[in-house]
Amino acid sequence: AGGRPPLPSVRRGSKAVTRHWKAMHFQRQKLMAVTEYLAPRPAIPPRCLAPRKERLEEDNSYVRLLQRQVEEVFRDNRMIVICQYNSMPGEDVVLMRHYLRKHNIEVKFILNEIIRPVLSQSKYKNLLPLFVARNILLVSREAKVKEMLRVLKGVPQINLLGACIDDTILSRQGVENFAKLPTLEVSQGQTVGALALLPSQTSSLLQRGSAHLAALLDEHIRRLQAGETGSPAEPAPAQSSG
Amino acid sequence: PPGPGGLTVPRAGLKKFVLPPDYSGITFPEKTKLKFMDKVPAVPKVRREPRRLRDIRGPSREATDFTQGQYGIMALGGGYLHWGHFEMIRLTIGRGMDPKSMFAIWRVPAPSKPVTRKSLGHRMGGGKGPIDHYVTAVKSGRLVVEVGGRCEFGEVEPFLTQVARKLPFPAVAVSRDSLQQMRQGGEEKKLNNQNPWTFERVVTANMLGMRKYLSPYDLRLKGRYWGKFFLKHRV
Repeated sequence: AGGRPPLPSVRRGSKAVTRHWKAMHFQRQKLMAVTEYLAPRPAIPPRCLAPRKERLEEDNSYVRLLQRQVEEVFRDNRMIVICQYNSMPGEDVVLMRHYLRKHNIEVKFILNEIIRPVLSQSKYKNLLPLFVARNILLVSREAKVKEMLRVLKGVPQINLLGACIDDTILSRQGVENFAKLPTLEVSQGQTVGALALLPSQTSSLLQRGSAHLAALLDEHIRRLQAGETGSPAEPAPAQSSG
Repeated sequence: PPGPGGLTVPRAGLKKFVLPPDYSGITFPEKTKLKFMDKVPAVPKVRREPRRLRDIRGPSREATDFTQGQYGIMALGGGYLHWGHFEMIRLTIGRGMDPKSMFAIWRVPAPSKPVTRKSLGHRMGGGKGPIDHYVTAVKSGRLVVEVGGRCEFGEVEPFLTQVARKLPFPAVAVSRDSLQQMRQGGEEKKLNNQNPWTFERVVTANMLGMRKYLSPYDLRLKGRYWGKFFLKHRV
């Protein structure tokens, strides 16, 4: 009578769709276990590789405008000084800007993330290491370094980092030396004087011989006049001058 | 990134001005709130119908994609929705949404399938019981309600998840993007599965005579469905 293998659910047992989780046949359970999803395992786990910064470069027009402004600043002004900016009270900032404005120096706050790409593509590549952390730019058309240093000395929160005056990069020491230099007119006068020194001496050089002879003759005459009263005249000194 | 001392100094970068979202192509239906669903259809059924549980089994063939709205509730399992569920959905969504700027539409018909119940405490036999109430069948992968309008997913998600938790089957609040991502994820899983043995392959080739222990519907369901349940983690 029993030649057939026992079929699992023919008469008894629930329907296909039940409210509870219907118990699976063991073979089916085994099949489900075998055919599970296996995730791919790459040879190098992704956390060992450097994280790729997938930044969506949406060419921001505002950023482009700011970069154009920065390029303009670098083109127009002769003196560009970069200083470290620690947090200052607002009124002190306003006062400092006022004093610097009097000497025609403008204070500019520019974000590093805008200025770095601009500099890396222009000729001011060596200024790049300065644009890290909070900083401000003091720009001006004339190079009034002495007045600027005086103003900045009164403000302890701003420290000079470096400057680019007339396309020459100067460090803090260089700026101080530049300040100690005399002004252009004075230095021009000095060079003219130094150059004119030698030609001014040529006339005296040429006249030195005859002047020496004249001095000797005068001395001789004096001695003669002095010797008339006293001892007999000494022989005239030899004609040393030619 | 943290600095040398392990501390991160917060820095302000350039403000990115994000454009406000563009709600240009959205047409509001006449009534923005959900329609009231009847308990009993206008013509109540006289003939008692067989149970036909196959309307719960397997994936849904209708209402799987968005039509008018942007966000909705998708069913991840099969089940019946009766009038109590409809009222709960209607009232919760009506409470949570703003009728001036958002609209909601039903993606599920009114209850039309009669469900019979025998009176309590009687023995088996005596014929089929009278009609107790009406239900609608929902298969997995079907949208129940759709919400749209001038709103973001973050505004809509709280009350949609609240509703989704109360439904008799597992459900999830979806948006158009999240649904697309879910589907793409499923495709990717199918492609990069390292297991050479898949349920589909075993069933179609009847390897080891497995079809003896499986239903003929498993050819279609491919091991992702078991009864009314949808097995999310299977490929």
